[in-house]
Amino acid sequence: MTDLGTRVSPEGATTRPVWATWLSDHPQAVLSVVLLALVLVTAVIEPSYLSVRGIRNTVLLAAPLGIMAGAQTILMLTGGIDLSVGMIATGAAYVAANQSPNGAAIAIALGLLIGVAVGTVNGVGVGVFRVNPIIMTLAMNAILIGLFTALSFTVLQGSTTVHEFISTLGGGSFFGNRIPYNALVWLVVSILIIYGLRRTGYGRLLYAVGDNAVAVRLAGVRIWQVHIVAYAIAGVLAALAGILLAGRTGAVDLQLAVNFLLPSVAAAVIGGTSIFGGIGTYGGTILGALILGVLATMLTFLDAGQAIQNIVYGSIVLALSWLYARVSEAD
Amino acid sequence: MTVAEVTGRKRIDWPRMLGRHGWTGGVWLLFAAIVIYYMTLIPSFGAFQITSLAKNSLPLVFLAVAQAIIVIAGGIDLGIGAVLVFGNAVAAQLMDGQPFATTILIAIGVVVLCAVLNGVVGWIIAVSRVPDIVVTLATLFIISGLALLVLPSPGGGTSEGFRAIFTGSATGSGTNFIPPLILLTLPVAVAAYFMRRTRTGLSIYATGSDPMAAFLSAVNTKRAKVVSYALGGAYAGLAGLAALAITGSGESRFVTAANFTLRAVAAIVLGGIALTGGVGSVVGATAAGLILFTLNPVLSAMGIDPNTAQVIQGTLIVVVMMVAGIIQLRRERAE
Repeated sequence: MTDLGTRVSPEGATTRPVWATWLSDHPQAVLSVVLLALVLVTAVIEPSYLSVRGIRNTVLLAAPLGIMAGAQTILMLTGGIDLSVGMIATGAAYVAANQSPNGAAIAIALGLLIGVAVGTVNGVGVGVFRVNPIIMTLAMNAILIGLFTALSFTVLQGSTTVHEFISTLGGGSFFGNRIPYNALVWLVVSILIIYGLRRTGYGRLLYAVGDNAVAVRLAGVRIWQVHIVAYAIAGVLAALAGILLAGRTGAVDLQLAVNFLLPSVAAAVIGGTSIFGGIGTYGGTILGALILGVLATMLTFLDAGQAIQNIVYGSIVLALSWLYARVSEAD
Repeated sequence: MTVAEVTGRKRIDWPRMLGRHGWTGGVWLLFAAIVIYYMTLIPSFGAFQITSLAKNSLPLVFLAVAQAIIVIAGGIDLGIGAVLVFGNAVAAQLMDGQPFATTILIAIGVVVLCAVLNGVVGWIIAVSRVPDIVVTLATLFIISGLALLVLPSPGGGTSEGFRAIFTGSATGSGTNFIPPLILLTLPVAVAAYFMRRTRTGLSIYATGSDPMAAFLSAVNTKRAKVVSYALGGAYAGLAGLAALAITGSGESRFVTAANFTLRAVAAIVLGGIALTGGVGSVVGATAAGLILFTLNPVLSAMGIDPNTAQVIQGTLIVVVMMVAGIIQLRRERAE
């Protein structure tokens, strides 16, 4: 936007350093280095961190965030965003807790159904009525806050604990307490998303819609359908993250996933997904979520307050996105 | 020069007027309708209600104006709520126990500080070429973190005179509606004049409308961007001061910052400002800010509990935007 007129250098050709070429070809290498550096710094601060248990705790923290950031990645590829993921997650957790007496399967299924329902409404708003995604999901967030606050005094009252199976899924570990179950869920979700984005026609449509919606429409695609499905998938992922979170914390309240909204966007942005659509991979987002997870662990070890945590989070997002811009600029 | 000027006749082009200012007028009419309805709901509607509406809507209206200026320039500031909270925290921390004259000086300092701070944000966007939404997502975290450093827990204070300027009384509640109404109109009028009648204001519109065309017309687009963010920061600081005057103490929670940002975005969209930039006015955003605030007391006067009221507010925004989307779609089809 502000690079007008400066793109062409006097020599007529852009000279770019070798490292920039390499970095723009391997964006995930930068992230891996950042992740590794953060792990090492954390280990210096707290030597016991470099253990199975330390890593396990980070993954346990990062898994729900990574799944929620998956929702954000899929939508950002289409040029959209979902600012209601936090409340979808909370709502799904509430419903899952409410239905827990009926068994884990029904609880999880109905929880996910909340995600599908809300996501579909978001998708209809964005796809059919062409409401700006930020506005649509922002308003949806407000609606859900009001709705679930009201419901938590009536129908959902006392629904604060989840089924044992869900607590194990969200917070338990197997293989001698080494691998958290939620990491397993995350792995399955990751494989599905990565396969879906790379190998299916719908996945390619997501990229195409984000890259050039007009061209896609002229090629005969009903874009509104792509949007509705994308928002529904995002809703399911957010709901799943919420259910896992409820299992990890052991209790459901209205603040359950509120603090995950902005980090979910941040994880996708750190992972190199463009907020304008068409560019990005879920692999990058996974690294982004892990980076935020390690960062959270490190700041806990440092006993840093919320203030320092926010400043560090923001600075990391800013620094990495600036680096991306510098690297891709020379293209 | 328009046809009217050349021929010397002053004829108003009604379809054009309606097209350009229809939405703004509509939002003001909606606000008027809501206030009239509120009057019928509350038999004792009088000075107290007017004062309460005027003063309590100040923070949101100022923040809507701030966001409006930035969005008209083609940006969007997710960190604007954090600037409000930061200004609020700094002012509450410094003003506590100070005499009136000192608090006024501090207030001016806070507005300038917020302008500079957000100007730096705009400068980062201009220089880094990172999308506005990403940079300001980061600054939402950073600036709200700074606010929390300045004021770790709710507290601080201000002078009685300072509260009276914004609220009309030293205690923050009363029936003197003149000061809050002046405080409401004056900054909005200044912003409206600046945006429509000054060279810099027009360059902000031009940049938001089409940065390439603006640049080729010798508009300094980088400067327009920085100015829009700095001005937005100043109004956000003013909003923080208003919040301090209303409650009498400061607050620096992250949730407050995020919520204010979201409400400011909702306000400008309802106010007819396109998120693509270059379209809309601060006057429309002001009406929308007033509506979003006024709905709270109206719905509670109707006997609706706050949670249902929130659902209604959210639904209202969605419905308005859907209607706008359909109108836009039909226009495109017709062309």
